[in-house]
Order: sequence, then C-alpha cells, then structure tokens
Amino acid sequence: MAEVSVQNVTKSFGSLKALNDVTMDFPNGGFFALLGPSGSGKTTLLRTIAGFIFADSGSIYIGDQSVENIPVEKRDIGMMFQNYALFPNMTVADNVGFGLRVRKVGAAEERRRVGEALELVQLGQLGDRKPHQLSGGQRQRVALARAIVTNPKVLLLDEPLSALDKSLRVDMQIELKRIQREIGITTIFVTHDQEEALTLSDKIGILRQGAMIQAGPPREVYNNPVDIFTAEFLGEANILTAQGGTALSSARADIKLPSGATEQSTLAVRPENMSISTSEPGGDAISKIPATLVRRIFAGAMATCVLENGGNTFKVIARDQDIPDLPEGGEIWLSWKPEHTMVVPNP
Amino acid sequence: MKGTYLAWVGKAWLGLILFFLYAPIIVMAFMSFNASQYYQLPFEFSLTWYEKLGQNTEILNAATRSVLIALTTTVIATTLGTAASLALFRFEFRGKRFLQVMLFPPIAIPWLITGTAMLIFFYGVGLGRGTPSVLIGHVALALPYVIVVVSARLATFDVTLEEAARSMGADSWTVTRRVTLPWIASGIIAGALFAFAVSFDQFVVSYFLSEPGDSTLPVLIYTSIRKGFTPEINAISTIIIVISMAVMLFAARFSNFGGER
Amino acid sequence: MSTVLARQDRLKIASLLSPAYIWLTVAIFLPLSAMLYFSFLSDVPFGDAEWRYTTDNYQAFFQTSTYATLLWKSIKLGLTVTAVSVLVGFPCAYVLAKVIKGKSREALFLLVILPFWSNSLVRIFSWAIVLRGNGVLDLGLNAILPFEVDVNLMFSTPAIVIGLVHSYLPYVILTSYLALQAIDDSLIDAARSMGANKLTILWRLILPLSLPGLLAGAVLIFVPVVGSFMEPRILGGRVGTYFGTVIEDQFVAVFNWPLGAALSFILLAVVLLILATASPVLRRAQA
Repeated sequence: MAEVSVQNVTKSFGSLKALNDVTMDFPNGGFFALLGPSGSGKTTLLRTIAGFIFADSGSIYIGDQSVENIPVEKRDIGMMFQNYALFPNMTVADNVGFGLRVRKVGAAEERRRVGEALELVQLGQLGDRKPHQLSGGQRQRVALARAIVTNPKVLLLDEPLSALDKSLRVDMQIELKRIQREIGITTIFVTHDQEEALTLSDKIGILRQGAMIQAGPPREVYNNPVDIFTAEFLGEANILTAQGGTALSSARADIKLPSGATEQSTLAVRPENMSISTSEPGGDAISKIPATLVRRIFAGAMATCVLENGGNTFKVIARDQDIPDLPEGGEIWLSWKPEHTMVVPNP
Repeated sequence: MKGTYLAWVGKAWLGLILFFLYAPIIVMAFMSFNASQYYQLPFEFSLTWYEKLGQNTEILNAATRSVLIALTTTVIATTLGTAASLALFRFEFRGKRFLQVMLFPPIAIPWLITGTAMLIFFYGVGLGRGTPSVLIGHVALALPYVIVVVSARLATFDVTLEEAARSMGADSWTVTRRVTLPWIASGIIAGALFAFAVSFDQFVVSYFLSEPGDSTLPVLIYTSIRKGFTPEINAISTIIIVISMAVMLFAARFSNFGGER
Repeated sequence: MSTVLARQDRLKIASLLSPAYIWLTVAIFLPLSAMLYFSFLSDVPFGDAEWRYTTDNYQAFFQTSTYATLLWKSIKLGLTVTAVSVLVGFPCAYVLAKVIKGKSREALFLLVILPFWSNSLVRIFSWAIVLRGNGVLDLGLNAILPFEVDVNLMFSTPAIVIGLVHSYLPYVILTSYLALQAIDDSLIDAARSMGANKLTILWRLILPLSLPGLLAGAVLIFVPVVGSFMEPRILGGRVGTYFGTVIEDQFVAVFNWPLGAALSFILLAVVLLILATASPVLRRAQA
C-alpha cells in the first residue's frame, strides 16, 4: 500500500492531447474516483498510472518510487477491467492465482492466499469453476479477488461496475467499499457515473478534455463546483446568470448574493435545495423567484417539477407530499436558503 | 523501447513471408515475358510465348473447358447448397446433426482418395472417364463449401424479420424471396465464388476423371510439366493468376473475409 | 423443439435437402463404398476378367516393408511441412492480429491469403523455375554472394517441403489469425497488470487460447500433404516417391485398382486417426 502522486502529466496521441498537465494526489489508503465524460482522458490517466501508457512529460510516484519508466508488469499494481478480462482457459482459482504464480510464491502459499482472497469476496466454494459458468456479479468478484491477491501497492479499477444492472451495481458498490476498507488499499477508479463517484470516494478528480478541472472531497466538489460544466456534470443545477438570466432582474425576484459574488456572477442552485409554495414566502433571509409550473413528474416518493420564469427553465426535486397541489400553468414561488446559492466562477 | 523493437522484428518477419509467398509467382510472370525457351538469363523481353499461346488450341480448349465446367459447377452447387442451407437453418428435425456432419468427409478426406474412389465407382456404373464425371465430382466437392458459407451467413439472420413479414400477410415463398434471400445474398455470392475456385483450381479429382485429350487446364499443365517445361505454360499461368487474384479482390468486398465486422 | 412435423413441412425439408444430399451420396459416399468393396477383390470386375474376394491387397501392405516405409515417409513429410508451416505462420498471424492496427491490417491479411487462390499446380511449377540448377535462386545467390555457390535444390526433399509449405502456409495463417483476433486485448493487459512477462503471456494465455485455431490449421495442412502426389512428382523427381504417388501409379500406370483401393483405405484410416485425435480440442473450442 502506498500513496500515489501524479504531477504535471502530459500525454498526446498524434495531435490529440489526451492528458494536459494533470496533477492529483492520492493519499495512502483512500478511495478515489476519476470522473468525466467519455473522451475526457480519465481512462488514459488510469492506464498511465498503471503503466500501459508512458507519459510524454511529468512524473508519477507510487509510494516514494518514481515509476515513469517502469512498465506495468513491474509496477506491482492490481487492476480490474471493465469487462473483467477473466482468462477463459483457466479456473477461478487459477485466475486468482495467476499473479502469485508469476511471482513464484510456491504451491502451498498460492493455495492459501487464493483461498483467502476468494473468502474475502465470498466466493470460497467456486474455485474450480470456469469463468463462463459464473454470473456477472460473481465474475466481478473473481476479478476483484484476482486484482488484490498479490497485495499490490495500489488498486486500479476501470469502470468496474458499468456492466452490471442497477440493483446489482448498488450491492457491489457497498461490497467494494467494504473490501477496500478491510484491506485498506489505495484505490483509484474510473467512472462516468457521478452518483457512483459521489457515493464511493473520499476524493473525486473531474476531468474534461484531458485536463483536471477540479479535485476534492465529494461534498466539496458538489457544493462548490469550479464551473458550470462541473456543476451540471455532478448533478442537476439551476443556473442563474446575470447576463442572460431574466430571473435576477425580474422585478419581484429577490436573490441574496453570497459574499464574494457580484451582479455579474454566475449562480447555481441544486434542484433538491429549492422548495415550492403557493404564496410568496415571508422573511428577508431567503431567496425567491416567482415562476409558472410547467409540468409535475411523479416518481414515487420524490417528484420533479419543471418551472419557468421569463424564458428560463428550472427544476425542483422534492418529496411529493411537500409539493402543493397545483394545476399545470399555475403561478407559484420558488425559494431557497441563501447558503444553497453556489457561486460558479466564470471560465 | 523493447516493445517497439519486438514489433519491428515481427513486421520484418511478415515482410519476409510475403516475399516468400510472392517471389515464385513474380518470377514466373517475369519468365513468361522472357525470350529464352529454357529460362536463360539475362532477361530479354518478348511476347513470343503469349503469341504461341494464342495459337496453341490444345491449351486454349482446355482453358475454355475449365471455365465452362467451373461455371456449371458454380450454378449447380450454389443452387443445391443454398436450398439445403435454408432447410438446415429453418427446420428442426431428427438427423439434422448427422446431415451436418456428412458435409465434412468431402472437405476432410484427401482428394487423392475421393478422386480414385470416384474413378472406381463411375467405371463400375458404366459412366467412365469424361466431362460428365468431372462435373459430378466438382459439384460434390464444392457443395459442402457453399453450405458452410451460406449457413454461416444465415446464422446472422434475425428470424423475427421473417415473422414480421408473415404477420403482414406474406406467404412463406414470398418471405423467402423478399426477406431471407436478399439478406443472405452476400453469403450466396461468397459461396458461389468458393464453388468456382474449388472447381477451377481442382486438379486431383479432374486428373483421375478426365479423358486424355479432353482434359481440364490444370491436368493439361501437369502433363506438360512432366513432359518438359514449355514457356506457354508460364504465359497461361500468369494470366490465370492475374484473373484469380482480381476475382479474389473483388470477392473480398462481398464476403468480408477475415474482417472483424 | 418440435418432434412431430407437419406433413407439409416434411415435404418441404425433403425437397430442399434431397438434391444436395443425393448428389453427395452419389459422388462421395457410394464411391467410397465401392472402393472399400474393390479393395477386397483380386482383379477389376469388368469385362471378362476373373476375380474373387481376397484380403491379398491388404496383406501386400504388410508382406513387404516397401509400402509401410513409403507411408511412414509420407507421414514424416506431412509432419515436417505442418511443423514448418506452424512455426513460420503462427508468428505471422500474431503480427497481423495483434501488432498491426487499423486499415493496413486488412490489406496485409488479404495479401497473405491471396496467393492461396491461385492455382496450386501453377505455384508448384513456379517453384520449379526458381529452384532448379542454373535457376533463379542459383543465379540470384551468386549475384549477391562474393563466393561461388552451386544451388540446385530441384528434385530433392527440401524442394518438395518448400513447395508444399508455400502451398499450405496460408491455411495456418488464416486459422491462427482468426483465433488470435478473438482474444480480447484486455486479457493481455490483465496478465501484464499481474506482473506477467511476454513469455509467460505467450505460454499461459495466447497459446492455450489460440490452440484450437492453430490445430485446425495443422490438420488442414497435414491431411492433404500425406496424400500429396503432384508436388513430389514435379519437385522431387526420383526422390519424390511417396505413398500418394504409389496410389496414383496403381490407377494411372499399373492399373492395379484393387491394390490402389486398399492402399487408399489404409491412408484414409491414418487420416481418420489424426482427425479423431484432434477433434476433442477442436470441439472444446466451439463450446
């Protein structure tokens, strides 16, 4: 186990800059997410840390060892692949024991550690099966056991849960987190699913077009996005801009500007932080906008309302019972606490 | 880096193999334009052997016969093979597995054995040697290839398309003609090309079944080589190679042979 | 699965299948049966020849060592050609499938299998021009090398092997390429991430996974080479006597068809034995 550090890493494929001066620290024992849309460079970054790709410039440390010139097979990492990449010609036990056999640990030691790893992922009985006899969730567990059995310095996961259906994915998220805590291994995983990143990680790095645009704990990046892209990528956001938005200039609107913001700032509010009322909310310590209800979408416990004001569309997510009964097209008020107004720096 | 060095060695090896594969063919094409009858160097350009070929009725007749037999074989084998493939694809019945296994002997048994067996049998039933026997043999050798290729294409066919057509009121013949056959057309064309190639290149079976003086081109080439090299053979061989490679390149566009699509 | 078929369906199946299978029966299966029958006759039962049932033709194979020696010579030729083709062709297929990327791969692949579609006789004949004394190889080598060499490979075993390898190499490249291409690159990445070097990956992963393709290619080469007679005749001359040429002689020169039939059947038995040995591995690949 070790900390990982990526410093000023740049990598080009022809004229395409896949990674542009990327820097991020991954402290020992943490669980980290690299998040970004496809083509953002997140997988390239992971494969550069793994050693499949060599950076054009910059440095990468695993522990206190500089690894830029060390190929993947010498880096002592564990990696799990999107499609699991289980060897179809080997049994589960041979798959898990592959890395140990390469390291020549001896048959008895191999058997013991394979057994332990399979126990850890709760597949103790399935060592003799072939990969094609396993379910999707089981394959996933074998891939995880295989990645950690050699006690690597760092565990790298490339979209590990994307091939599973939704309910299984949530189970596996919990399981993954449990195992990571149990063995305390530094873990970096790539995902395009913001919810997954927010749920699992201690720290999120957000990439776009090869650049690391923000890195920090989930709550921090969620509440203080550095730009509109990040604000919208991490969840839904209602954007209030001085320039284009009539909302701010609307006569009856009253928006309390957070400290540091000016009339020109871009502001954003998360849909779940807004509430709806039929009459104008009282009190000075609240931001509010009048709006028209366009549509109300029922989704079980929660409901989403689409609202409109002066050509701008807003979304509000609230418990269904907290939304007043109103016909579509009715006039309502949107309000939120001033501390929920996020100031989004202009690019 | 080590990786790129190994990759370079690999590519050089591939280049060497390509040289090995093409060198003799190129040499032969070269020699067909060489004036010397005994392939003496230095090279002296001449079209003599092509002119001589133009007057050699024996070779030209054999070439025509080979083309005609190959075309006939293609038509018969493709028709029968496609029909059989459709039945094997569409119906489940007892003995189907057995029928599929029966396709392998013609491919897997050396042609020397098949050819001599045909010779014995055709003599036994009074047909003897000659073009009809050659044709029967060629079709039998080409059939399994057609069935395998067309079946492979049929395997990619979505049965719900037929069901959709039927739900719109089309009868089963209309469905086959308007839905199924257009889908497998590329497979049928590939199968037909296989059939043509198997027949046109076929030497062993033709050798045992064709009448002396009434032989196909490969058989004639074989006997000419054994009697002594004649440069006209170079000329006709060069023409054959150019044509078959052109056909193959053309076919590659249809069959996606070896492609990953 | 429906076990009971409608009468109409049965009629349809029969009308679609019978032309093809009747043809195969008449042209392949009846002839093979006829040959088996002939192999137990003392003479051809045509005209007014005297004939009886006998096992003499099979006994002939065991009475002298000539036939067994030639069969062994043919099998050795088959093994040599197969081994050379595999050793030469597999690396080629690997480079095509895993090293070369993009459009040039398709073009190169086509280039490799293209000669395969030209007439096999013509290709053997072109080797004769290259290999003979005072031929292209001889003159070419003497033009490059500083010292005098005398290269006349014509009418020798190496000439036969070269010609046959040239003829059948594309088979093993084709089947290996298809098998190698089916191996997901992420498997190789996974092995590397676990610390495996190139040799381990080749030995533990790539070879086992591509073995069915490799073996299919080997069988496709071995079977026709054991039965080859045209190539040894043209390139081997006097040393080119093999089991295949002896069978050919029985049918076109000596006219001892029953003996030829018996020898053919012995060859067939060898071929079937090889196929039966290989089939478990090939079948595993389909699972």
